Amino acid sequence: MSRLLSANFARLKRDKVFWIGLIVMFGSGAFSAVSSHMRGLETGYSIPLDHIFFTYTVFTGLLSAAFCSLFLGTEYSDGTVRNKLVVGHGRSSIYLSNLIVNSAACLSMDIFYLLAVSAFGIPLLGFFEKGIKPVAAFLGCAVLMSLAFTAVFTLLGMLIQNRAVVSVVSIIGVVLLLFAAAYIRARLEEPEQYDSYTYMSVSGELVTDEPEPNPNYLKGTKRDIYEFALDFLPTGQALQISGMTALHLWQMPLYSVIIMILTTAGGLIVFRRVDIK
Amino acid sequence: MEYVLRTDGLTKQYRGFKALNDLNMHIPKGAIYGFVGKNGAGKTTLIRLICGLQVPTRGEYYLYGKKNTEKEIAASRRRMGAVVEMPSVYLDMTAEENLREQFRIIGLPSFDGIPQLLKLVGLSDTGKKKAKNFSLGMRQRLGIAVALAGDPDFLVLDEPVNGLDPQGIIETRELILRLNREQGITVLISSHNLDELSRLATHYGFIHRGGMVKEIGAKELEEACRKCVRLAVSDIGVLARVLDGMNMEYSIVSEEEADIYGDLNLSKTVLALAENGCEVTAIHERDESLESYYVSLVGGEEHE
Repeated sequence: MSRLLSANFARLKRDKVFWIGLIVMFGSGAFSAVSSHMRGLETGYSIPLDHIFFTYTVFTGLLSAAFCSLFLGTEYSDGTVRNKLVVGHGRSSIYLSNLIVNSAACLSMDIFYLLAVSAFGIPLLGFFEKGIKPVAAFLGCAVLMSLAFTAVFTLLGMLIQNRAVVSVVSIIGVVLLLFAAAYIRARLEEPEQYDSYTYMSVSGELVTDEPEPNPNYLKGTKRDIYEFALDFLPTGQALQISGMTALHLWQMPLYSVIIMILTTAGGLIVFRRVDIK
Repeated sequence: MEYVLRTDGLTKQYRGFKALNDLNMHIPKGAIYGFVGKNGAGKTTLIRLICGLQVPTRGEYYLYGKKNTEKEIAASRRRMGAVVEMPSVYLDMTAEENLREQFRIIGLPSFDGIPQLLKLVGLSDTGKKKAKNFSLGMRQRLGIAVALAGDPDFLVLDEPVNGLDPQGIIETRELILRLNREQGITVLISSHNLDELSRLATHYGFIHRGGMVKEIGAKELEEACRKCVRLAVSDIGVLARVLDGMNMEYSIVSEEEADIYGDLNLSKTVLALAENGCEVTAIHERDESLESYYVSLVGGEEHE
């Protein structure tokens, strides 16, 4: 597998999408820090570094989908995956080497954002308000979330042998999952009851309404399912990590590991049997 | 005889369609094996199977004596190179970069052999031109160079002259012949361009509807395709005596017919037969080409 890794990393070094990804992530990190500083100057309220440090987790899935589908799709569109099989490389080695290179590429893009946001953010916005411990914990979750995304997109890239189709499926899939996660979070954030409020009636009297239960508030098993979905979905994790607010901080990395294991095991089993055109 | 590739009852089924049906094939070491069949006959399916791109539904194949289900098949595969359908090259890379990538995949310690390979396939002067800007012939030659990267002993080429211009066809043919003669590489070429194959092949395999119809050596085929006159007579014994007397080469086809090779003096033969009381009932001149041989094998009405 070392030979495949050497070949894949050499290709990665020349890959335009990878370099564009690095530049976009670095630019986003720098822009985020500078724009937050400018907004702080305009409004008089300084924005802490904590608020923007993990913003990248919301769009890293999208970038990962685009990169993995194009990087792996080229192997099928140019037919070069055949060169690896013909000379005797095993299908598992091919799959795992692609997974490793995709993971390294996507983590590199994340690191470029973090480097930029740190390099510009710390001097302009100051150090983390919440301290280093929670940041380190969320960083661990973010790394595993990114790896989970990569595992899913590697699975799709290895099993769908059409570059255009896999790109569309991956990108639309991650967008839909982002919307799903945003909806789930909105439902979970519904207040349990509407607060009491006072208003003046038509006749000029002051009327005070009692607090009322919110019919949209999720309870019992339904709430458990929604919470599980938000913790389990990488896009749900992304939303939580980006705001450094988590329902169950220590469950998210566990779910990410489960996603990685399941998608990789499933991908390996299917890829071993799939007919390559 | 030592075989580089041997298949035994190889079958590949896609849902309701059998692309390969109980195919038996034997490719001797050092041969240029022309794999002949019309479109959809199963040529590419066989190549995909032996290259490990697809798994047989039934049957097995042996590559350098190693069965496809054995782990050691990977070592046998390292001795082969292939161009399956379209050349497998990174379009966004130059010829040299493509070869460097393949050298890494194979695990070759240095890139020293690359200039030699590029020279061999006539792509030395492509410089920084990317493969996406190559002509089809150049891509084909680059594909062959990639397939040759590990110094293979067995080269598999699927329709190597498809879409090439006449010059490209000549260059590809000369390259294949050079590889076979100078480096002793065994070559499997699938094609439906019979004229082109007849200039190269030392052995033929004719496939039809997923099954092997006939395997034959080039010399044997040449014999079968020799120009001759087929004579139908009332007494085959008399014909044999007359032809022996005239010192002609012939082969008896049936109790009434014989194929006569070489320059036949027809008047003299007919007179000699008449003198011996033998009537000539029919005369056909036969000049069988590889194409007509193939048609006679698979049935003319089905041939495209």
